[in-house]
Amino acid sequence: MTQFKAWLDALLATTTFDEWLVVYLKSTALSHWVVNSQWVWPIAETLHFMGLALLIGIIAPLDVRLMGFMPRVPIAALKRLVPWAVAGFLTCLVTGALFFAATPDQYIRNESFWLKLLFLAIAGANMLLFETTQRARAVALKPGADTPAAFKAIGGVSLVSWLMVLYWGRMLPFIGGAF
Amino acid sequence: MELLAALEGSAFSTFLRESISIWAYPTVLMLHTVGLAMLVGLNTTLDLRLLGFGPGIPLATLEKLFPAMWIGFWLNTITGAMLFAMDPINKGMTLIFMSKLALVATGVLLIVLLRRSVYGRGADTAMVTAGARTCAVLSLVVWAAAIATGRFMAYV
Repeated sequence: MTQFKAWLDALLATTTFDEWLVVYLKSTALSHWVVNSQWVWPIAETLHFMGLALLIGIIAPLDVRLMGFMPRVPIAALKRLVPWAVAGFLTCLVTGALFFAATPDQYIRNESFWLKLLFLAIAGANMLLFETTQRARAVALKPGADTPAAFKAIGGVSLVSWLMVLYWGRMLPFIGGAF
Repeated sequence: MELLAALEGSAFSTFLRESISIWAYPTVLMLHTVGLAMLVGLNTTLDLRLLGFGPGIPLATLEKLFPAMWIGFWLNTITGAMLFAMDPINKGMTLIFMSKLALVATGVLLIVLLRRSVYGRGADTAMVTAGARTCAVLSLVVWAAAIATGRFMAYV
């Protein structure tokens, strides 16, 4: 009961949403589990790196194809590997959410973290733009054909924004000072 | 051991360790991750194709992934050597570091074997052999283990 009251008092003492979020997340069993275990963090990091390799390894060739290189590769065929990239992304999303939930104070005021999310949003919006406006043209494009300017732009934006996601992720400890 | 101590004391190692510049340790570490994505990521894409996923991707065109994989490999050899030079006495002789080197060497050997087995008769007659499929499975396992040892080096 006193523990509960201390927990409630700590939550009520917060004045902003991000403060509240940090205090709340750090009070959860999940956070205690991750922070107190010697293994969870490095295992989750390993999965996060495997996920990023899978995601970039599949999306980068697709981007490069959209930019007009490797013209003999049918875009439709490359797109059939995208579910693997999605699997890589989900692996990163789950492990990333775990890092945030366990030690939110390392991220919430960290500019690298917000820049990472910004480029994640750009990459996502860019992909959505492609799927909603260019999908039919992409599937119909003959192998060997050069790509339209819209494909080149979207492919370029995708490649750069995923690399920026990786860049700001790696800068978390150095710019903004996590860990 | 004296060699490692000499390396650790060298001006270059000291610069990497002590510089607070964003272009020193942080950039080296970041490039090591970019190289990982190029080498392991592209190799994974090739492995998946050889194991029957994305069957419409012409094998001949995927031979173009090899130069990009080699760029990733050399990038990581260089940045990896720099990371090693920062802390050779602590890292150099550990089992986990030796394991990582052995896993990377195996992964690279598998790339060479894979290329020979699929493209050995010329790009236009590229074919998926049983040997290539075995290499593809082994390569996925070996790279996963290489990533794990690399990550755990920071914690053990």
